[in-house]
Amino acid sequence: MSTIELNVPQSTPLSTLTRLFRRCEVTGLAVHRPAEMLMRANAVAATVALLIGGISAILILLTRWQAVHLLQPMMFYRVLTAHGISMLIFFIIFFEMAVLYFAAGPLLNSRIAAPKFGWFNFALMTTGAVLVEWMIWTGKADVLMTSYIPLRAHPLYYLGIIFFAVGALFVCFQFFATLVIAKREKTYEGSLPLITFGAVTAAIIAVITLLHGAATYIPAFLWSVGLLDMDPQVYRMLWWALGHSSQQINVAAMVAIWYLLGAFTVGAVVLNEKISRTAFVLYILFISMASAHHLLVDPGFSSSWKVVNTSYFMYMAVLASMLHGFTVPAGVEVGQRLRGVTRGLFGWVKNAPWSDPGFSSLVLSVVVFGFVGGITGVTIGTEQINIVVHNTLRVPGHFHATVVSGTAVAFMGLTYYLIPLIFRKKVAFWRLAQVQPYLFAGGMLIFSIFMSFSGGFGVPRRHWDINFSGAPFQQAFHPAVDALMAIMALGGLLAAVGGGLYILITVWSVFFGKPFTEADRVAGAKGLPQGIIRPPRALTAADNRNLPSGRFGHAPGTMALVLIFLAAFAVYYFANWKLLSFVWKIG
Amino acid sequence: MTGEPADVPTSASDDIPPGQRLFDNWLLLMIAGIVIMAVIYTGWGLWEIATMPKATLP
Amino acid sequence: MSAHETEHGAEPMHTGMVAPKGRWWVPAHKSEKVWFTIAFAWCMVLFAMMPLWHWKGGQNPSGIRSKVEAADFKARVDQFVADYKVDEMNNIPVVEPPPGSDVYLLGRMWTWYPVLKLRKGVEYTLHLSSIDVNHGFSLYPVNINFQVVPGYDYGLKIVPTEAGEFSIICNEFCGVGHHMMLGKVIVTNEDGSR
Repeated sequence: MSTIELNVPQSTPLSTLTRLFRRCEVTGLAVHRPAEMLMRANAVAATVALLIGGISAILILLTRWQAVHLLQPMMFYRVLTAHGISMLIFFIIFFEMAVLYFAAGPLLNSRIAAPKFGWFNFALMTTGAVLVEWMIWTGKADVLMTSYIPLRAHPLYYLGIIFFAVGALFVCFQFFATLVIAKREKTYEGSLPLITFGAVTAAIIAVITLLHGAATYIPAFLWSVGLLDMDPQVYRMLWWALGHSSQQINVAAMVAIWYLLGAFTVGAVVLNEKISRTAFVLYILFISMASAHHLLVDPGFSSSWKVVNTSYFMYMAVLASMLHGFTVPAGVEVGQRLRGVTRGLFGWVKNAPWSDPGFSSLVLSVVVFGFVGGITGVTIGTEQINIVVHNTLRVPGHFHATVVSGTAVAFMGLTYYLIPLIFRKKVAFWRLAQVQPYLFAGGMLIFSIFMSFSGGFGVPRRHWDINFSGAPFQQAFHPAVDALMAIMALGGLLAAVGGGLYILITVWSVFFGKPFTEADRVAGAKGLPQGIIRPPRALTAADNRNLPSGRFGHAPGTMALVLIFLAAFAVYYFANWKLLSFVWKIG
Repeated sequence: MTGEPADVPTSASDDIPPGQRLFDNWLLLMIAGIVIMAVIYTGWGLWEIATMPKATLP
Repeated sequence: MSAHETEHGAEPMHTGMVAPKGRWWVPAHKSEKVWFTIAFAWCMVLFAMMPLWHWKGGQNPSGIRSKVEAADFKARVDQFVADYKVDEMNNIPVVEPPPGSDVYLLGRMWTWYPVLKLRKGVEYTLHLSSIDVNHGFSLYPVNINFQVVPGYDYGLKIVPTEAGEFSIICNEFCGVGHHMMLGKVIVTNEDGSR
């Protein structure tokens, strides 16, 4: 990794420089201290939200596992509301705020814009989150995360979400303002680094998302106090522009983190800036429209609207994902090959730092997101196939493979670098940290797959009792369903252990962890990932001689993997169409 | 774009192609992203709901 | 000399953390272009499948979609029940509409009303609406799922392709009694026998 000289006015006294910045010994970056404090605060808030969401997850799965059926109906829906909001909104967005501060500040050797405003925003977001959680847990918002009108929550619930969203939107503005500052103060030369460009993508999608969020929650708030009417179909359309698009923020952030983890762990390279940036630009332009995935069997819209929007405009955003799906592993492969790991088609996979939780998280995230999350998502988001999918467990089965096994796993992997680099501590319980990604991602993989299978049998999502006690008729599901849901629950419990470990490790490291010196680092002290002890060596032009020059390009191993991926995609996709053809005629 | 100096090539051999200039212009990309979504998803969607006929309930 | 050598021969490659200087808008290597082309072609296949299925396939969520007032829909359902009721199950009317006619199903907290008796191989227009909150029409075990939105009448042309007894599950959260919301559809053979 090259280092860049900090470029500030000559007149700046050294005392100011050292007060405001410190030089990172590992990356050589100039880290703006106020930025670092904001990153820490947002990361801690994210972890608190994850804890609430995680406890909720255990309670929910022990209820959907009918043999246990832990919670009573209303409590189940209440905890489910808390789970959705805490995970998909609070955990993920707080973490992303930290990513935005990093990508515009330290990664560009720049100071961030208006740090005090950053603290105001943090307070606003925290106040909003606390308000929302308070409303939920006191039973005033038993409406699930989607709060579909005319289900009604207490007005303070909607207000809390508005506060959180406004705070996040303001942080996005700080992010863009920081880019302006960095450019004007010439803290970097040339174009933004690719990772920052990925953060730009996430921030732009966040602006699109949050504008729609305002358009949803401000009227909803006014409706909740009786000041205006709101049409339920309009609400659903606007809500999903917030709800699904917020997940696309996560996709962009996750891909940016893939490039970052690749860089930290193996010195992964960018094969072609144009291709990688094109993929991000396709996300910016088209990915948000896929909010329509949730409205494919709604009465409000024509098939034309549904087809154009659900396809992210002719699948251009899927093209983008397939490009990243190539460039990220190829970057790892080429980064390895350039440094001499050149044996065979997959030597670069075998001789990779698997005991570095940053690296294992990266690989698990890419593989599960792509193969399970991506393939199922595009398939079930097809207008007609959605008929056999909508509101069944196939929907959460899909998104636990994307946002949990994909985004959250990547965030967790990054944390193992964040703890030494930003919190300046060693990672506690290092042996546990090394297995944590496998436990969490492995558990989630089982959970997602078996949840999806259950959904294939028609098991509904967000449902307290599939024995339908108290209903006027009897209906038993296919006998396989009980076993599928039990295995799903066990997978979930395994993931909960992995998630709990993550929280234990991070909280302990941050508050009770041992600091380390430069000497510790160089000596390879336990509790530091390999990419920090021995950063991948800088490349020279001479290393290019290690590149394969055959017909399959510089990354033949990756080429083989993506072709296997495409084959799996085609099989799954067309099998679903075939299954649809057996269903009653509907038109 | 207030406060943003135009891209100047650092040397004669470095002239930046229009594609690169576009990708460096995050504000333009943001506007395009917002407009495309506002028109194709939100605007069109609201129009569909607004122009939906009343049920005849045959 | 391959295209890549001219791009990379003189320059070391860099990670995504580095700000690239100068011109980075350069052609991709041939293998990257090949993957781009394959992926693009696949996306076109994905996109073509939906219009194709509208044209040739038998399952589409198109329907006759309109806005409706709750009171009007309820009145129409009551009329429908009065016209074609043939039986009762657990105090819920069983209604057998004529082949090819408009069939009305009401979702409300927490029942599907009425029970429908249809005939295999016959087309009906099934009208779905709710008079309170969102519900989820989920026909089990066929696994047909539609969103039932208050204020909207979703008229779907359906043809049952198998005889038997089917359940209507509600799969959109609608309050504490959500799990008790279970309806029924009976499909007789073409000759009317069960």
